Amino acid sequence: MNSDRRRINAPAGGTSAPVFARTLKEPGHLQSLRPLRARAPDELRNIFVQTGVVPSASGSAYLEVPSAPSSVAASSLIPPSSSLKISCSVQGPKPLPRSAPFSPSLLLTTTIKFAPFASRTRRGYIRDSVERDLGVHLETALRGVIIGERWPKSGVEVIVTVIEGDEDAWWGEGITGANGAGNGSRWGLLNVLAGCITVSSAAIADAGIDCVDLVSGGVAAMVRNPRDKGGVIRVLDPCPSEHEEILAGCVVGYLAARDEVTEVWMKGDLGSSLEELVEGATHAAVGSLSVLKEVLLESVEGKLKGQAGGLQRRTTQQDVEMVG
Amino acid sequence: MASANTATSTPALSFPRPIFAAISPHSFLQAHLSNPTAPNKAFRANGRSAHEFRTPGIKTGALTHCHGSAVVRVGNTSVVCGVRGEILRAEDIADPPSSTPDTGNEVHEDGGDDELDSLRLLVPNLELNTGSTPSNIPGSAPSSTAQTLITRIRSLLLSTRILRARDLRIVYTPPPATPDEVPDRQVKAYWTLYVDIMFISLDGNAFDSAWLAVLAALRDTRLPKAFFDQEMETILCSDIPSEAAPLKLRGCPVASTFAVFDGWKDGDATEGTEDWVLSDPDAFEEGVCQESVCVVVDCVGGRGSGQEQIRRIEKSGGGVVGREEMRGLVKRSVDRWTICEGVLKGVGSA
Repeated sequence: MNSDRRRINAPAGGTSAPVFARTLKEPGHLQSLRPLRARAPDELRNIFVQTGVVPSASGSAYLEVPSAPSSVAASSLIPPSSSLKISCSVQGPKPLPRSAPFSPSLLLTTTIKFAPFASRTRRGYIRDSVERDLGVHLETALRGVIIGERWPKSGVEVIVTVIEGDEDAWWGEGITGANGAGNGSRWGLLNVLAGCITVSSAAIADAGIDCVDLVSGGVAAMVRNPRDKGGVIRVLDPCPSEHEEILAGCVVGYLAARDEVTEVWMKGDLGSSLEELVEGATHAAVGSLSVLKEVLLESVEGKLKGQAGGLQRRTTQQDVEMVG
Repeated sequence: MASANTATSTPALSFPRPIFAAISPHSFLQAHLSNPTAPNKAFRANGRSAHEFRTPGIKTGALTHCHGSAVVRVGNTSVVCGVRGEILRAEDIADPPSSTPDTGNEVHEDGGDDELDSLRLLVPNLELNTGSTPSNIPGSAPSSTAQTLITRIRSLLLSTRILRARDLRIVYTPPPATPDEVPDRQVKAYWTLYVDIMFISLDGNAFDSAWLAVLAALRDTRLPKAFFDQEMETILCSDIPSEAAPLKLRGCPVASTFAVFDGWKDGDATEGTEDWVLSDPDAFEEGVCQESVCVVVDCVGGRGSGQEQIRRIEKSGGGVVGREEMRGLVKRSVDRWTICEGVLKGVGSA
């Protein structure tokens, strides 16, 4: 076990997450707790977006997909499904250090980090390959939106902290892999990436960085239809723990006004339904865009009011005189 | 513009507030604090008086994958803390404690907490590099500030003995072979508590808010009932919510941090130097002040209820605060304790 001398380390013997007795002894117990999709195939979950959560940053935003109230939650400690919670702060644009080579446009750096408590298995503090990979995907999605030529010789940091992520499958399915749902395809990452795109877009707009359009993220997936065995349907904004078998998933970063896609990430066994899937993901992206627009409009109105209030206050507040 | 008119009529130089604060933070704060017309009504740059703390806001239980969690907002500082229990099996411990102090009776209740430290059952960690301030950019190792903070939090957790080792032990009583035999209780495993603190936004006084978040998250923590299953020879947990037990915390120590602002001598001996002790400094004030004092007090869990106890005093950076000033600071900390206790009261009682 590697030890990190700058942090407090776990006991050297290693610890294991608690195992619930009923999941081992009663075979049907986990399945009875599984949440079911109550939404229509093209109905999205509600999202909550707020800007300005980090006052010292030039722009910041917080996104949450509140978990649906569940009746089974009260009868077991096994959490029904997690809710996505992502915070993003934008630092910059600020001048590059003197040692950096000349850059004619804005240098974008994106970092995605999961909090240690973001997922079922505890995560470390050092970024792993999954987080780096997500960071590159996010950078691709954002690079096509920012008008970088307006900031030569500067850099901007987009820092995303995933406080809680979507899970990849229902409990235990990653281990058993009985029906192919938990075959190591991390379906939850698609939702996380879509959330990261949406929240960074809000934070970049909050920072006042010029963009060609608002980018937003959306996910669609092909799942086995529970009602008709063997049939495949397309669902928007899938919650992985609700589906026994996900065949393919796709996340896009979509510019609605220009009808352009800056990022596509597809997984799974697609078949011939590629266009249908991408189209579904763009529909989901349009859904989150409508929330984004409303929130940004509100925050701009709030800022304008604040400025007007600030002007009035300044006349009453005595100016501090500089002495010495 | 009133300020423009005064600037032309008097020779004094007038700046907009943000520029004044940026180019000369010390005199900016001093100009705020020394209000010659009404000395009692002097305010800091953030609009608070010198003795005023920011009101804390706490929300618990928001995180799905934690056994206890809290979000604490103190002004512009916001912290998320999650407590997660994992199981450390006794056979994985290289050097197990020799005695089993858990005899089940209350006599030993106050003793035998050495396991918390020696087995490292508490694993607090803290992350500042989440873009919480412009200088805290991810990709770098924890700064010395972050390392100091987490060391202080860990030592406070251990020295206040807030957690009981018996809450963390998973004890197994084997069925007696003969009816007369006294069952021999064995500690089969321990709960290890991972306490992870993420700063979403940082505006000064990281220690107080982090500690408050840890305290609230621990009060919110409910560990599932864990037992040794003889059949499978492993530790299993019950997922029935009513069997989960909260941690019984000893007392409720609350930290209050103060920053000492040295006023400049104006050169004339009549005025001399003047110092202000600012409660709950924000990031701007922390940048200006050298000396800082942290007082941890607790008014419950001591010998008598309502009797205040000083659990820790940390002081560094200067010599302004002496014995008399410290007395005043403890009094201010006790007032702060009352407020924080009121906010914490709702946590964990459900």
